[in-house]
Amino acid sequence: MKWLCSLLLACVSCSLWATSADDIQRFTLKNGMQIMVIEDDSIPNANMYLFWKVGSRNEAPGITGISHFFEHMMFNGAKTYGPKQFDRTMEAAGGANNAYTTENLTVYTNWFPVSAMETIFKLEADRIEHLDIDAAMVESERRVVTSERSTGLENSNWRTLSEEVKGVAFRAHPYSWPVIGHESDIAAWSLADLQQYHQTYYAPNNALVVIAGAVKLAQVKALAEKYFAPIPAQAPPRSIKTVEPKQKGERRVFVHKASVSTPNIMLAYHVPATKDADYYGLDLLAGILSEGNSSRLSRALIDKQIAIAAETYMPQSFDPNLFYIYAIAAPKVSAKQLEQALLQPIENIAKNGVTEAELSKVKNMRLMDFYRAMETINGKANTIGSYELYFGDMNKLFDAPAAYSQVTPADIQRIAQQFLKRENRTVGVLSSAKESGL
Amino acid sequence: MRTHIISCAIAALFCFGIAGCSTMPASSTDATAVKFTMPEFDNYTLDNGLTVYLLPQKEVPLISMAAVVRAGSIDDNPSGIASLTARSLMLGTHRQTKAQIEQIADGLGASITAGADKEDSFVLAQFMSKDSATMVPLFANIVQTPSFNSDELNKLKQRQIAGLSQAKESPRAVINRYFEQFLFAEHPYAKPVSGNRDSLAAITAKQVRQFYDDYYQPQDSAIIVVGDFDVGQMKAQLQQLFGQWREGSQVARSDLDKQLPKLDKPRVLVVNKPDALETTFLIGGIGISRDNPDFIGLEVVNTILGGRFTSWLNDELRVNSGLTYGARSHFNTHAHAGVFTISSFTNKKTTQAAIDLALKTYAKLWQQGVDAKTLASAKAYVKGQFPPNYETNQQLVSLLKDMYIYGLDEEVINSFDEQVDKLTVADTKRLVTQYFPQQNLQFVLIGNAAEIMPIAKQYGEVKVVNINDIGFSAN
Repeated sequence: MKWLCSLLLACVSCSLWATSADDIQRFTLKNGMQIMVIEDDSIPNANMYLFWKVGSRNEAPGITGISHFFEHMMFNGAKTYGPKQFDRTMEAAGGANNAYTTENLTVYTNWFPVSAMETIFKLEADRIEHLDIDAAMVESERRVVTSERSTGLENSNWRTLSEEVKGVAFRAHPYSWPVIGHESDIAAWSLADLQQYHQTYYAPNNALVVIAGAVKLAQVKALAEKYFAPIPAQAPPRSIKTVEPKQKGERRVFVHKASVSTPNIMLAYHVPATKDADYYGLDLLAGILSEGNSSRLSRALIDKQIAIAAETYMPQSFDPNLFYIYAIAAPKVSAKQLEQALLQPIENIAKNGVTEAELSKVKNMRLMDFYRAMETINGKANTIGSYELYFGDMNKLFDAPAAYSQVTPADIQRIAQQFLKRENRTVGVLSSAKESGL
Repeated sequence: MRTHIISCAIAALFCFGIAGCSTMPASSTDATAVKFTMPEFDNYTLDNGLTVYLLPQKEVPLISMAAVVRAGSIDDNPSGIASLTARSLMLGTHRQTKAQIEQIADGLGASITAGADKEDSFVLAQFMSKDSATMVPLFANIVQTPSFNSDELNKLKQRQIAGLSQAKESPRAVINRYFEQFLFAEHPYAKPVSGNRDSLAAITAKQVRQFYDDYYQPQDSAIIVVGDFDVGQMKAQLQQLFGQWREGSQVARSDLDKQLPKLDKPRVLVVNKPDALETTFLIGGIGISRDNPDFIGLEVVNTILGGRFTSWLNDELRVNSGLTYGARSHFNTHAHAGVFTISSFTNKKTTQAAIDLALKTYAKLWQQGVDAKTLASAKAYVKGQFPPNYETNQQLVSLLKDMYIYGLDEEVINSFDEQVDKLTVADTKRLVTQYFPQQNLQFVLIGNAAEIMPIAKQYGEVKVVNINDIGFSAN
């Protein structure tokens, strides 16, 4: 992320039950840049989300973390607005910004009073077309990103454990390394690497722009034609061809950290990409396992004093990725006991299935998630943009209600059997225990 | 980054200082822009003294609901009982067990949580409008007829105690608790909401019941409902469900105007975390109360110092020197006092460089002051970023809750722009002199004590504690 903040990304795993296609207007500039507009005047503000189709999956050893680093460099000066001027100009106009990088995307977010919209267009166009990658700035920003990496590891056990688990779960695909990159790569990429990266990926034909708020389509169109349309298109980036070889047995990783008070366990199972038909069933299975105090993991682990927290996480993803299950042991519970207790509810679903009531509960939770996302202009822009990219077609958004409602208890059981099985998982253990013996 | 955000949730991390991006307060310089105003709401009192706020919002078919009670960690004895009592409301009612409450709420996709802060306790619910007939009565039972089942209470205590150890794995998650205790000493604001592992272990179901009986009373409480509902029907439903809630006898309250500490020398608390990769630090002193008439002016000045990306602190410590990923400053306000802090973190090898630069940058408030151009920028920023703070039902609930606890009214919203606009450069000078602590600064450093002790000594009288010691105190 550009900088630390408490902004939680709106749910992007929910469908747009109540929104009609008419609420989302779109057009494409002649350079290939796609733009979507959601008119909403509930507050006198608007936002602009720029989704660039570049993330850590586009990297290679030697330049791991460069997508995220670039997320930072995009704020460090261009032709019209030099160093510091992007932020200073935006903030003086009443706007604020941030950005985040994932395995798949780099997303820039601007929030502003609607009167500042033209300024936002000017600022974005300048850095897209004319970014000035200054050598001194690169060195300073390396230190910032090193601090970002370090503070993540200092404060987050999830961060510490997940980067090791990913490294073991993937041995071929670029999802193997952490989005922030390896420490030695952060220190080593060159100016030429950066220039090449900008030219390849920050081309208008590689972007989706979503604007939501108290704006009018005609006004957005006019500004987009004026500021974004003159930016030349580039040859499309090369596609990612690596397919992770099928895992053929359980993999394990142990991480020592002295200050961990009780063991943490992460299970990671290979699952298909978001476009796969099983996405909806997997998403509901995640909910059945971990959402709410009546969830399977909560009943089996937290009520029984085996764990103090248990969660699932399945990122939306262009390529097949991981379904994570994470738990933190209660005091005096060993890593081994926690792992066994964590596996039982999973096995139970594979063996005995789930009830209609459980399934209906999680479908209701998804409906709530959707309404919460639609409550803000920020949630609308982020959800709609993410849907367009991860599901590949904006119209599929309107199939989502049917897709969720069609999932049956039998589907959930089949999905649990097919994916949440031993040979398909990596087990990560984070503990203060020292490994001993030979 | 998604993984970062998820890890935040699982480790119950929070970010320090004012959240810089979406939650910071700005407005356009365009005179034609629509003015953002407080939506219409009803505010009335039932015969038993219970305050009610009703604010209809029809954008999505959801309702957010809160019960707010004037009881917080300032009333704690033993430490942590206000928070434990609030959380215990979720352990069952005279009609439903804990598991039944959870099954009903989860089944509808709804959420209900409870907790406490320094000055209030609360129950918060969010549900679909169509489920009001189930959720509002369930909510009323949770607030008025808790069972405080002792088996469940014991399990909750164990979870909370384990949660304290886990929180200490993240310096960012606990540094404010150390700072407030270090600063406020014997004053009730020193007490950490979470309690400590010994105080929690000793709390009995009987004490929780007593705390509830003493403090959870209609005349000291408010019910807040925001969202998609019919006002007439909601009024009738609330009268029926809360009209019989009986007043009890008044309890003696702590005098929060007394015992405010006199900070007569600079002091440093070093919290030793031997495996720390970095030093996490806060620098500050006594700030302001929430009802201070200069609250908004100070928000503007603080925006310049450490409340946004281009603030002086972030510009110096991050952008110019690469010492950290972020540096901020913040006024955290309570009803009778508050805290001002500068916060950042840095590699343990650059601890001194980062603290020195933070202090040097802070001194610019007096040496150089705020110029007209920077002031204009900060004013535009706080106005432009203001409306998104009050967009959701939950945010409006939180606003009404603050109005109730701190005695504020809709002018908080309606006169915001006007108050920002009238601020002059001369005003900023007065605000700096009057409110920003300049002498006898207090420091908390969490890191590897062996490495940072020699540095800590340069800033004041040092005390050292281990992060695994009980609680968050310097003693």
